Amino acid sequence: MAKAPVRKQNNRTFIGLLVLVGVVGVGALGYVLTRPGEKALTVDPSIPAGTAEGYLLGRPDAPVQVMEFGDFECPGCGNFANVTEPDVRARLVNTGIVAFRFFDFPLSAHRNSWTAHVAASCAADQGKFWEMHDRIYAGQNEWGLTGSGEVTTNPIKVFRKYATEIGLDVKKWEDCLAAKPHEARIKANAAEGMRRQINGTPTFIIGNKMLPSDHVTGYDEFKRYVDEALAAATKSDSGKKATRTAPPRKGGAPEEK
Amino acid sequence: MTRRNIIAVLSLAGVFLATYLSLYKLGIIGSLACGTGQCEVVQTSQWATLVGAPVALWGVGFYLAMFAASVAGSFGHLTESRAISVALVVMSGWGVLFSGWLTYVEVVKIEAICRWCVASAILVLALFVLSIGEMKKDSRESRVEG
Repeated sequence: MAKAPVRKQNNRTFIGLLVLVGVVGVGALGYVLTRPGEKALTVDPSIPAGTAEGYLLGRPDAPVQVMEFGDFECPGCGNFANVTEPDVRARLVNTGIVAFRFFDFPLSAHRNSWTAHVAASCAADQGKFWEMHDRIYAGQNEWGLTGSGEVTTNPIKVFRKYATEIGLDVKKWEDCLAAKPHEARIKANAAEGMRRQINGTPTFIIGNKMLPSDHVTGYDEFKRYVDEALAAATKSDSGKKATRTAPPRKGGAPEEK
Repeated sequence: MTRRNIIAVLSLAGVFLATYLSLYKLGIIGSLACGTGQCEVVQTSQWATLVGAPVALWGVGFYLAMFAASVAGSFGHLTESRAISVALVVMSGWGVLFSGWLTYVEVVKIEAICRWCVASAILVLALFVLSIGEMKKDSRESRVEG
């Protein structure tokens, strides 16, 4: 006979808990949906790049120009290259929407990074910058950082293996490593990053937005900024002119494709 | 509070959790609150989509089904329904298998852990344990009545 009031009491507690979880859940979702968007610095896309030259992927006249300032030894850059970039290439670069330029930004704290940038620039001489770029990032655990420092003090040995794997003329590539003809370009790219007040890698410039890595953590987010840049380009030029973040090239070695 | 009540409350929490991950995957929110930063790695991987829809969206469906069944089984004549208990065990059992597979993929294939996915896996496991307890209780009661 005493069961009914107990059940009633239980139901009240149950409904009260459901309401509590519902209010907290709706409140939390409401917060994430309405919080202010990620902050991005607005930069002047017409800043001349001096002699800096990014490695180009895609159509140079694509409506959205994207620059990445990356460090080959940085785990965040590796994460972007291995996880997000394949989607970016397949859906945005290969479809002609985005021109993607990689700018060297080797950080001095990373002992093997400079060598990696030189190795990639020498692969560019043989038209295989992006193959080497991908291989270097995919193999970061073989030559890059661990918890206690770099895995190896002889990264060239590892990069030589990559050069063979991607089909480079290894002798020519080694000659390039010794002659270091691209150091000026790497330095210029890094200087360009400094001039743009980049203080971490990877940093992306998409249209007129400069976005540190924590603002572009996945493809969806990357695409959102591309969509914004595309909309801005379409609006301002009625689709005739492209939004350019990188200046016209000023000679030098041909850009990678 | 009965076990079904607790299942309903936990399922409702799961609905919100899975909705949060779905909103990210669908591009409606820009980033996930994830201390280690590996949630995006998991959420942008090839395993985050199943049959054309985000895995998280399937999760929303799963939790909604669990919620509906447990709420229905908490009131009126269905409070004694054994079919509800069986349905809860079957659904949560499937959820445990699926979550187990996803956790395996995170650890072995993607090599990144999404804390929200782990939270969901723990939630599903709790739902399964509660559902088993509920069914055992039904079996005991039917034996006593018999």
